Amino acid sequence: MNETDQTGLSKFAGNVKGLANTFIGSVFRNGKPTSDKTRASAVFNNFFLHIQGVKTHINTLRPSYTLGLGLITFFLLVIVVASGVFLMVYYNPSVENAYQSVKNINQVVFAGKVSRNVHKWAGEGMIVFLFLHMARVFFTGSYKAGREFNWVVGIVLLVLTFALNLSGYLLPWDQLSYWALVIVANIMQSPKELTDSLGLTKYFDVGTYTGNLFLGGSIPTKESLNRVYLFHVMVLPMVIYVVVGLHFWRIRKDGGMTKPDLFNTKASDMGIMVQPKKSGGIFPTHKTYGLMELARGKTPAVDKDVENTVMSWPNLLIAELAVLMFTLAGTLIYSYYMDAPLKEFANPLIPENPAKAPWYFLGLQELLSYSAFMGGTGLPGLALLGLALIPYLDREQDNVGVWFTSKMGKRIALESMVISIIVIIAMLAFAVNFGWLRNWFPEIPQLVITFVNPGTIWVGFMMLWSLCTIRRTGSTRMGAMALFVMFLVSYLILTYFATDMRGPNWDFYWSKSQWPIH
Amino acid sequence: MYSRFYLSVLLISGLLVLAYLGFTAYDSFMPEWMSYQFEYRDYLTKNAKDDAAKKLARALPLEFTQVYLGEMNKVDRCTNCHMGVENPLMENTRLPYKKHSGNYLVNHPVDKFGCTVCHEGQGSATNTKEAHGKGHDTHWDTPILPLAYVQSSCAQCHDTNMLSKSGGDKVAKGEALFMEKGCKGCHKLKGVGGDLGKPLDKVGRQPIAYFTMKHIVGEHTVFNWLKQHFDDPRAIAPDSAMKVKLGEGEADLLTTYMLTLRPDEKPKSYRRINFNEPPVQNGETLYKSYCSACHGDGKKSLYDEVFKRTVPAIMNPSLLKVMDDTNLDKILKEGRTGTQMTAWKKTAAGLTDEQIKEIVTYMAANRPADRPEPFRLAEFKGDLSHGKEVYDLRCAVCHGTNGKGGEDMLGVSLRSKVVQKMIDPEVLAITVRDGRADTPMPAFGSDPFGMSKQDIADVVAYIKDFQSGGGK
Amino acid sequence: MKNETQDKEGGVSRRDFLALSAFATAILAGLGIMAGVFRFFKSDAKYEESRSFKIGKPENFPVGTATKLADKKIFVFSDDNGIFAISCVCTHLGCLVYETETGFQCPCHGSKFNMAGKVVGGPAPRGLPWFEITQDIDGSLVVDTAREVPAGTKNRYS
Repeated sequence: MNETDQTGLSKFAGNVKGLANTFIGSVFRNGKPTSDKTRASAVFNNFFLHIQGVKTHINTLRPSYTLGLGLITFFLLVIVVASGVFLMVYYNPSVENAYQSVKNINQVVFAGKVSRNVHKWAGEGMIVFLFLHMARVFFTGSYKAGREFNWVVGIVLLVLTFALNLSGYLLPWDQLSYWALVIVANIMQSPKELTDSLGLTKYFDVGTYTGNLFLGGSIPTKESLNRVYLFHVMVLPMVIYVVVGLHFWRIRKDGGMTKPDLFNTKASDMGIMVQPKKSGGIFPTHKTYGLMELARGKTPAVDKDVENTVMSWPNLLIAELAVLMFTLAGTLIYSYYMDAPLKEFANPLIPENPAKAPWYFLGLQELLSYSAFMGGTGLPGLALLGLALIPYLDREQDNVGVWFTSKMGKRIALESMVISIIVIIAMLAFAVNFGWLRNWFPEIPQLVITFVNPGTIWVGFMMLWSLCTIRRTGSTRMGAMALFVMFLVSYLILTYFATDMRGPNWDFYWSKSQWPIH
Repeated sequence: MYSRFYLSVLLISGLLVLAYLGFTAYDSFMPEWMSYQFEYRDYLTKNAKDDAAKKLARALPLEFTQVYLGEMNKVDRCTNCHMGVENPLMENTRLPYKKHSGNYLVNHPVDKFGCTVCHEGQGSATNTKEAHGKGHDTHWDTPILPLAYVQSSCAQCHDTNMLSKSGGDKVAKGEALFMEKGCKGCHKLKGVGGDLGKPLDKVGRQPIAYFTMKHIVGEHTVFNWLKQHFDDPRAIAPDSAMKVKLGEGEADLLTTYMLTLRPDEKPKSYRRINFNEPPVQNGETLYKSYCSACHGDGKKSLYDEVFKRTVPAIMNPSLLKVMDDTNLDKILKEGRTGTQMTAWKKTAAGLTDEQIKEIVTYMAANRPADRPEPFRLAEFKGDLSHGKEVYDLRCAVCHGTNGKGGEDMLGVSLRSKVVQKMIDPEVLAITVRDGRADTPMPAFGSDPFGMSKQDIADVVAYIKDFQSGGGK
Repeated sequence: MKNETQDKEGGVSRRDFLALSAFATAILAGLGIMAGVFRFFKSDAKYEESRSFKIGKPENFPVGTATKLADKKIFVFSDDNGIFAISCVCTHLGCLVYETETGFQCPCHGSKFNMAGKVVGGPAPRGLPWFEITQDIDGSLVVDTAREVPAGTKNRYS
């Protein structure tokens, strides 16, 4: 009895002594990642890391290939979510208090202004980097070879990012957000223009429904603020987490990052890899050949890693940490110099002149000024559909993972860029100088304007040009290239045009500095 | 070899983040108000009378303070910098910790009233620029009120009677000016007043977007707009028809009064308004409030530079002689279509019948006892062509060829609807015969003109014929 | 096992310096941000009345009176020795105590206090706090509920 008691107690004492080690050991089951085997298991046994491969291709690590754009976008999302939670602590989503609570965040809350600026700029940065990432994926042909659906997922992420940014824009309940809310509500109900001119509104009033869905009424009220807040902090974030997860998972399942078929390591690759000493140092290496690194390999060879891959731990993780820190530093520094705008308290009786949507929608607002339906629903819908269908309409599998595919690709991209710049500027200049159909034929039916306006003509031109390119080059990839370049250029130019050159009353001015101030 | 590239990126970015954190930490722990609190504490310590006071002063906590006004859903953080505002020791120091002037704070302790209740500005802000609402980028509709206008805030809770006696003389004087200068002749306030100008309700709290700020010198604020607009209306709003003749300093008083016109937004528990004594109104004050801006003292007709027409002398004895009370009453109530004369009846400009009667009685006091000799126009048959001859000879000089009046003419337009439709030919004839004393209109029926009754009847017929398009 | 023992002998070589400093700054930055986060939740924008407030002139509290200032949650007593303010918030879980013949009684969990605020029964861990009373320059008394004084501190004010 006595003896067993003592043994039990000493066992217990031993357990207490080893508590720290056993606890840590139970959390990190692999021990220190000192060999390739333990490094591999460090990645795939870790919930947070296992979405990455155990081994990473050198091409993926090359900054000149991915430019880190997708990762930057993701880290911006992380920053946005974190800062958004902080803002929620002090933000009060009611018409009476929203504005003052935002002022409080700006004025007294510790680091409140920073949080708000970071939240704002990281959110808008997501749009910028999402477009850049999309361009990178497109120009390296990375939507091909099994990655078609992930491209579509990316388009969904684009839409979600737009929606998140927009809903956040409306929360401070100042003049900017109120009138942007009004404009967006009108964009939402733009299908009405089409149903009106077709005489269908009586039976099928989808425009009013979507407008009401968004506003909770016909004008922006506290009901609208509630809805927008709900969308912004709950519905859309939840959806975007799931879709981002899906996007990442598909990257892995679709075969990882694309890489050129003919891949050779370069001397400069040494700068992006960890090449540990055989012993000692903080990344010691001891080569073992575990099953996990042989499983996918075709030509295992001593002293040469499988198919130009290196261990993800620590190579990829260091790269990711560096990108995270880079993103954080960039956001913070940008936020230090640029304050998120906040204007006077919302006044439903005094419209901002010009009342503008947030900048990322200004391209649409320019099209909207020709036809509400086309600018608000028709053309953006068409553009998104077109983008989503690109991988299914261009199925050439050559030169995937090579920037611009080929020399011809570079030429086509450049050519399309020049052509689209010329055409779109010429068209805007025409519309500004001579007006549009209604200026010449005041009695013209709305339906004609809906379908014949600078926006539709531009889209028609893009499609035609793309088809011509396919015919000329005999390559669908080239056609897609032309279309995509033209899409990007028109988004850029329209956005710039509507931001700077459209002043009060949507009149044309050469620059913002010429706007008459009231 | 190491992953030099990524590690360098990590190192540089990390250092940038650290530097940034350092900067923010410094900014957050040394805000603008902190330096004022330091100075305040130093001052108190230096000027402490005895050791106990010195010890107390040294122990003064330097911390973030705020006055929360629950009933008004408002928080004022002004006392972070204006720390000595209730401290009599700070009488002769400098801003921001100087004591509040006067004895206003005795009845308005800061912890109950805060600061922005009277001074406006952005009480929730914690730096000077934002708190005082200076600069357009602070986007604030109620910038801090200049001391000249700050009394306007008193009227939110106090009535003019009380203010005129203690501490609110500018409001009282401004209101008196407002009533005297005839502002309500053109501007509606609480539903009463003319409609040539904009209604003035809540003008003191209107967002600046309501005002044309293009020509304002200095900050684009409502009070600057009001002041500069009183100084020279057409310099600020080129198409303004407003008339102001103000003496030295009166523009400031009127601006103060304008700024008192705010929505009733203060909680009842803060308000001390005695509604039992309505302001005294008699015919004279009513006349001043509603008529004097255009008609002046009413004794002489005036050529109005802004309206580009002659405003009749409505209190001229010879006019009153021909107009009986019923007539005046009707004109006051219905106004004169086609002119700036407003219809003052209850349903239009909002004066009650009693008030109109008061004004008529006041005007009628100037009426000579004798009635004019009747003209009996019906006994004469007007001859249009002779009437035209007489008109061109006698009347066209002032009233213009064909009676069109017009710019730079002394006389009113005789083609106007008023003359044509509303004036009885008999009255017209009497006016031609007897003239209007104290106005340029002479009595044509006597020397040196000596128009015969027939001449007068002819010219009246000629003038009345304008209505049917004659005389062109 | 053999490999792991070998690891321990490697110190920090010069070639590790870049890596070490990079990770050190990253960790420091993370810690800095964490510190900022903790500070962030300490609210500066408070929507509550000031904890120090005027209760009026001393003559409003003649000797022998007990005044309950319900909105400020204090009792103000005045006896031969002076004026003192006692909190009416129970020290157990924050309910409001009420006055009885012999002292105070908390309705929530039955804590009992005597007239001086000392615990005489129930779960309350300590007596009701006495608050500092100072006199303002205009003569009115100021109670600061953020500053406690030892029970029994009574002062005469004129």
